[in-house]
Amino acid sequence: MARFEAGMEAMVDMYIFETTSLLEQLDQILMKTENDSSFGEEEINEIFRIMHTIKGSSAMMGLENMSRLAHIIEDMFFIIREENPVIQSIDYLYDLIFTASDLLKAEIELVQDGVEEPTDFSEHCMKINEFSDALKNGGGFSVPETGSTESEAPEPEPAPSGIGEAINGRATTIKVFFDDDCRMENLRALLVVNKIAEDCLKLEYIPDDIENNPESAREIIENGFTISFIPAGDTNADSVISSIAETSNVKSYEILETGANNIPLPAAGQNAVTVRTFFEDDCKMENLRALLVISNIQDACDSLSYEPADIENNSESSKFIIENGFIIRFTSSSPKEVIRIIESAPNVKSYEVYNMENTSAEALETKAAAKSAPEPSVNAMNNLPAVADNSQKAVEQLSNMLGNNTKAGSKQSLISVNLHKLDTLLDLVGEIVITEAMVTSNPDLKGLRLDNFQKAARQLRKLNSELQDTVMSIRMVPLSGAFNKMTRIVRDMKVKLNKDVDLVFEGEETEVDKSIIDQLNDPLMHMVRNSMDHGIEDTADERIAAGKNPKGRVTLSAYNSSGEVIIVVADDGKGINPEKVLEKAERNGLLSKAPSEYSDKEIFNMIMLPGFSTNDEVTEFSGRGVGMDVVRKNIEKIGGTVSVDSKFGEGTSFIIKIPLSLSIVDGMEVSVGASIFTIPINSIRESFKIKPSQLVKDTSGREMIMIRGECYPLIRLYDLYELTPGTDNLFEGIVILVESEGRCACIFADELIGEQQVVVKPFAALLNNYNVKQNGMAGCSILGDGSITIILDISNIITDF
Amino acid sequence: MSEEIMALETSKTYVTDGVEVLFFNIGEIIYGIEIKYINEIIGIEQITIVPKIPDYIKGVINIRGKVVPVISIRRRFGIEEIPYDDRTCIIVLEYENGTQVGIIVDRVQEVVVVNKKEISKTPDYKNVNANRYIKNIIENGSEIKLLLDCDKLIQD
Repeated sequence: MARFEAGMEAMVDMYIFETTSLLEQLDQILMKTENDSSFGEEEINEIFRIMHTIKGSSAMMGLENMSRLAHIIEDMFFIIREENPVIQSIDYLYDLIFTASDLLKAEIELVQDGVEEPTDFSEHCMKINEFSDALKNGGGFSVPETGSTESEAPEPEPAPSGIGEAINGRATTIKVFFDDDCRMENLRALLVVNKIAEDCLKLEYIPDDIENNPESAREIIENGFTISFIPAGDTNADSVISSIAETSNVKSYEILETGANNIPLPAAGQNAVTVRTFFEDDCKMENLRALLVISNIQDACDSLSYEPADIENNSESSKFIIENGFIIRFTSSSPKEVIRIIESAPNVKSYEVYNMENTSAEALETKAAAKSAPEPSVNAMNNLPAVADNSQKAVEQLSNMLGNNTKAGSKQSLISVNLHKLDTLLDLVGEIVITEAMVTSNPDLKGLRLDNFQKAARQLRKLNSELQDTVMSIRMVPLSGAFNKMTRIVRDMKVKLNKDVDLVFEGEETEVDKSIIDQLNDPLMHMVRNSMDHGIEDTADERIAAGKNPKGRVTLSAYNSSGEVIIVVADDGKGINPEKVLEKAERNGLLSKAPSEYSDKEIFNMIMLPGFSTNDEVTEFSGRGVGMDVVRKNIEKIGGTVSVDSKFGEGTSFIIKIPLSLSIVDGMEVSVGASIFTIPINSIRESFKIKPSQLVKDTSGREMIMIRGECYPLIRLYDLYELTPGTDNLFEGIVILVESEGRCACIFADELIGEQQVVVKPFAALLNNYNVKQNGMAGCSILGDGSITIILDISNIITDF
Repeated sequence: MSEEIMALETSKTYVTDGVEVLFFNIGEIIYGIEIKYINEIIGIEQITIVPKIPDYIKGVINIRGKVVPVISIRRRFGIEEIPYDDRTCIIVLEYENGTQVGIIVDRVQEVVVVNKKEISKTPDYKNVNANRYIKNIIENGSEIKLLLDCDKLIQD
């Protein structure tokens, strides 16, 4: 049994994406407000909105536990917003929300991994409930009141008596049945209750434990869901009933008892606004998108109805929406806001606003009427002048809009695209690059003189490289997202480790390929943790004694440098003691030469060897000796390198170098026997034939080549890779001077074949098991004639020498 | 929605009492591979050598833009390799995780539906190298054939 119904699976991606970004947003708001140590009204509203959306979408996906947690947080913020209580233990509040946010994130990951068992959040829910109760009671948190543990905040709680008993007379009782097999009847019933709660003075229902007892669903299926209510002041029973009937999945209802107060009024009366919404062509699942719109505007509307009404469970309704648009009728104290929400809803192409259900002329009349004598309006607002005022504004707004009736949603200049599509696009571009080479250097053309063809080929090449640049730039994402995630880690560790640390960003706008960013999060996190845990001194006193600012500093910086992005994680902590590292490496048997022969740089880089941790004790955050090893592995996976630099007593920096993009490189092809290797152009300095006078041998017989007064080691590729060469005569073959990370070497190959752009294809997993990366092979690529070339990774070849 | 799924599932018919197996020769011995692993069979083609990998992996080939490693079954089983001829084939296997691997075999025979009753377990003699890769023994008529364990082929 899958976690989602079949129809929902298509939405899972969207849901995960949305919820993740919302949670990130939440973290950012929290971080910001925590720094300012106060909640502004705007932030509260924002948190409220985020939680509301998560609640709604989680419920839609059937993720009850998440929906409930979000709901409880929403309630808490409702109290904070409405009652503005003095929050005495604000730190605790932050802890609660941060933990909740973590729980939600973890759950999202579980959902992503297809784990079916939902996590139980009830413990945390309870904590939040207690806290919001404390808030509600205006007291400090230390005195949690008993009694009202239910935080269904503003609704009048039903008295635990039989239905109709206390509210006899004026009460209307109605029995509601839901669609067969609609599932979770109890929650659907709750939806009904929530929907009508605002319009009712008193409200009771059977079964009354729908929110907490999933068993109640059975009872509802068997006996129906009985609601007994007295409509609030201006509302009448009919409109309540009709809003019940409109609730999704309600199949039928029976009115058992009609209250006295039952004067029929035109449903959704005069200041109702009708909006006809059209969705983008081919956006698919129009009905669910419509549902999304509804759930977005629900809060801002006093009453709401829409057509087709069965969008939630009838996929046929999308056809109706495509043809006729999706018609929403609502009354609201701020129609402007509602329309704005509709406008900004995803995939909404255009919309038309019909003021009231009448013509615009009448609309203006209503405006006049509203101005002169605010009549009791149908909606349940208490503050009538405010309603009038608002509806007047609405009318103005609407008449403005009637001027440009159908306004296309042209403001959106950003779209979100599925990464798979971009990957496919990139693959296609790669294929085009290969095919171009296939055509222009076709063996059939050899020896022909084709001026026009060459001209056209040049043009094609130019366009192709432009196309390639554009596709690359589409995939570029600024690093700020990855950096911002670190703020949260630093915040948590600051609290846990009791260290005062500033996190500083530099150059976070630097862009790298999306596929690289995704791989960067883990390594960055390890490095930041490492800096916080081991780098920064344990106490402020230690820092003061060392003559430093008591406040520690971790800097994340990024910049571009010749086709690479360089990311530095630096701290101004105690630095690495090379002697200690060396000692430990010796103890662990990691040394391969005499300790005195190691340079500081080599020593520092030892901390990235597997199983090496300088910290003797394992903390929650680091010290298991896997961290830096994992960092190196992850970075190497995306074709980058990590190095460590440190000054004992002054701080440590980790320097990550990653390629701008993984996929297409300019390469020089060389042949060795039957094999073809590609050397990336940006690591080639020059290629040449050598004279016997340039060859130097050292005492151990290692060959070196003298170029312009400098000596470089010689690497014979066929030796390195145990191949049969076309020639082993140094003076017949070709020598290529390559450079990587400041080190140079000469590579000997049979001959140069030519320069070509190649598309990097990673090695199959089977081959990756055998350390091909460490052996200097970055990947492979397919050439124009269908043969395969191996792309060399010069930095790994050089480090072996 | 769930009804659609049900319909989909029932529309797939499985051979419940038999397994489809492709048989091929390595020398005189006949081996089989379950058909669900097999993507395609191609003739031997130019194999690009990848340096510094175990010798049973002969290198990589280009299958319609995909770079696929190729394993020599003979080498893997520790049998002497023979020169490739026009009967030599590469069977391209595809695993559940999408990994593709080619295996070089002497010659491909046919696909046969093997009744489950004809499949029996391997005896437990540990020290024969090739046996590590055998999942089952198939007794088909008078012939004895060996069913390969594809997962073990690419594991160490």
